[in-house]
Amino acid sequence: MNYPVWEPPLLGGGLVIGIIAILHVFVSHFAVGGGLFLPITERKAYRENNPALLEYVKSHSTFFVLVVLVFGAVSGVGIWWAIGLVNPEATATLIHVFVWGWAIEWVFFLVEIAAAFIYYYGWDRLDARTHLLVGWIYFAAAWLSLFVINGILAFMLTPGKWLETPSFAAAFFNPGMFPSCLIRTAVSVALAGVYALVTAATIRDVALRIEVVRYAAKWVLAGTLVIPFAGLWYIAVLPPMARELPMGAAPAVTILTGLSIFFSLLVVTFTYFGPYQHPRYFNLTFAFLIAVLALSVTGVTEWVREAVRKPYIIYDYMYANTLRVADVPRVRQQGVLSAARWVHQHTVDMEKPEVSGREVFRVECASCHTVDGYNSIRFAVKGWSAEMIDYLLLHLNELKGFMPPMVGTDAERRALRAWLLSLNPQPAMREPAHPGVQAEVPTADRAGATKP
Amino acid sequence: MNPVIPAPVPVPLPAPAWLVQALLVFTFILHLLLMNLLVGGGVMLALSSYLGRRDPRHRDLARRVVRVMPPVVAFTITMGVAPLLFLQLLYGQFFYTSSVLIAWAWLAVVLLLVVAYYGIYWFNFQQEALGRRAFWVMLATALILVRIMMTYNQNMSFLERPQDFYPRFLETPVGNYLGSFDAGTMARFAHFLTAALAVGGLGLVLLARAWREEAPELAHWARRYGVRWFMAGTGIEFLVGLWFLFSLPAEIRNSFLGADTRATAILVVAVVLAVLAMVTAPRSPVAGAVAIVGTISLMAVIRHLVRIARLRPYFDPHALPVQGQWVVFAIFVILLLVGLATVGWMLYRFFRPASAREGFAATRHTSR
Repeated sequence: MNYPVWEPPLLGGGLVIGIIAILHVFVSHFAVGGGLFLPITERKAYRENNPALLEYVKSHSTFFVLVVLVFGAVSGVGIWWAIGLVNPEATATLIHVFVWGWAIEWVFFLVEIAAAFIYYYGWDRLDARTHLLVGWIYFAAAWLSLFVINGILAFMLTPGKWLETPSFAAAFFNPGMFPSCLIRTAVSVALAGVYALVTAATIRDVALRIEVVRYAAKWVLAGTLVIPFAGLWYIAVLPPMARELPMGAAPAVTILTGLSIFFSLLVVTFTYFGPYQHPRYFNLTFAFLIAVLALSVTGVTEWVREAVRKPYIIYDYMYANTLRVADVPRVRQQGVLSAARWVHQHTVDMEKPEVSGREVFRVECASCHTVDGYNSIRFAVKGWSAEMIDYLLLHLNELKGFMPPMVGTDAERRALRAWLLSLNPQPAMREPAHPGVQAEVPTADRAGATKP
Repeated sequence: MNPVIPAPVPVPLPAPAWLVQALLVFTFILHLLLMNLLVGGGVMLALSSYLGRRDPRHRDLARRVVRVMPPVVAFTITMGVAPLLFLQLLYGQFFYTSSVLIAWAWLAVVLLLVVAYYGIYWFNFQQEALGRRAFWVMLATALILVRIMMTYNQNMSFLERPQDFYPRFLETPVGNYLGSFDAGTMARFAHFLTAALAVGGLGLVLLARAWREEAPELAHWARRYGVRWFMAGTGIEFLVGLWFLFSLPAEIRNSFLGADTRATAILVVAVVLAVLAMVTAPRSPVAGAVAIVGTISLMAVIRHLVRIARLRPYFDPHALPVQGQWVVFAIFVILLLVGLATVGWMLYRFFRPASAREGFAATRHTSR
């Protein structure tokens, strides 16, 4: 409302963030878990006096640096870029609340990156004890950066006491913070195992490969063992609506929640019966299969985590379309086109209401819907009559709990209705069920109905 | 017409504006120094990988320089995070608007950065195997880095001209605007690029000192070569800087030319330090580096003063409500000191002379 709305065609803003975020989450949790895997495995190699294992850890650290320091770091910046472009108002709010949290996270990044390079370049320069210590420093910094960003992410879904007493502590130590942190830590351990399976599968020495494959599988199983318990804890602190959405209130969310559990079970089953039970027959294709499944878990779970926050972007404070809950009465009275700064017209054009309706859509709906792509609005209202659309717009938040209320004047609602009607050819009506309603629809809508 | 500018977030600033500005400028200086080494180094690497087809000195130079580039990229990015964070805190309503209007170009920065970063690693690991193609890899990488720098210049210039926001919004679908290529923005870009080439040259001189024992001839040659880059770059920068100065609105330009004593003094000292750097660099690169870091720091201050001046008609950051989060700020400062000490310790252990490390070598269980 306050900022111009960017509408990436087909994908929509949400999916732009989603694509970057899913890839980042898949790598950044490895950045933490892999940071634990390296020093623990290095220490194991020293203790068992196993130079072959140490060679593996070295080559794994090259892979780690190439994946984590490049893609992990830049994609993290990428999320920041994307949320600033798609949702500047929410991003600005988070930065105002958490700027010192982010500054602290930045300190951990600095240490993390320095430690990663020194660990990587230090294999032949540092003595064993110092090298291990650098590995532990890396892990500590990486986990602490997760701890900080997790508090900020959890805040968006469970802002808790901050809504009444807006302080940093209330915002950061929100109800979801600890359970979410436990889940992420467990995911990190599991993903460390998944990535290690990939590099382990390339080991030439058969005996070593069997040993490392089984060892990596244990990481996957250990991590995934914790996730259901941490998940239940997290679910317990969620707002009631966020619990209902995956339980059937929104079919898409239910299906994807089911997929998240299904893919997770596949990862566990494949890992247990594959690399854990039969490490000898494990190969790179199998490793990639598990990695793809793990990426799928990441993808659908992140999607669900975002979806259950609907209709808000910051729960009970700001709707997904960046309208603050507190501003609803004002905007309702003032009109959304008048309140919005970045529109082509500030009042409804009575001659061409569908043009004004498109503007209302941009400001109020485009944060989640595209016209023709992801979550397409054209498809959503296909076959709908003016009466149905009008009723829905009047009761949006009641009929679809995961959507914000439509805020605006009657004229704006009618304009939006006119535009929505113009998206699809109207179904032929044998006889008007409610002649009065049809008569209310301006003729311009009918003209628009023939447009593509 | 009054420019359309979003309202600031109705959440108080967690620190007074002066503190945020100080942190913004200070962390930007660190980013700027590294970014100069990255872009200047990238261009020099591209050239050396071409000349290296015939001249073995250039081939050797490229091989040695690219080895230090991955940490330079990583820290350029990391050091860029902090100033951008403080910029968004204080100037969010300008930054987000300009960014959203050039959304595709701005988002492309992330993708291009990944490509350039892997380009550097590719060159680093595969320079020999790539053969003649190594040049093309490095050229593409350098061009991408320069293009990223240009996008930054365009966005940072655009956010200082809120009067242009709404006209661009009306002209082009949101996100499709590619940024301005007007003389002012291009002068700013040329100013940054020339600086990067000069600082890259000086960076090479300092780096070559580490090769003195192992490859004395190359180190000697690289030093002279780097000094030439630095001298040429800084010399040209005086002209480009004038162009940039005269591309600024008259009122702001005049404030640096006598109308405002403080602003003028900062510019004069910055220029004097640059001259001093040119005089000292050939004989003492360290003294030259110290002087040029002084110039760069003052230039960053000047850049901030220009931003304040250009936005003054629309916005006064000191008028924003403040509710200091001092406890969290104190934790940040303490952690920063602990973090820097930790990094310092790790670097000390890493760089201390081989003789000091020998004693521990026996405790290693490596297979090598």
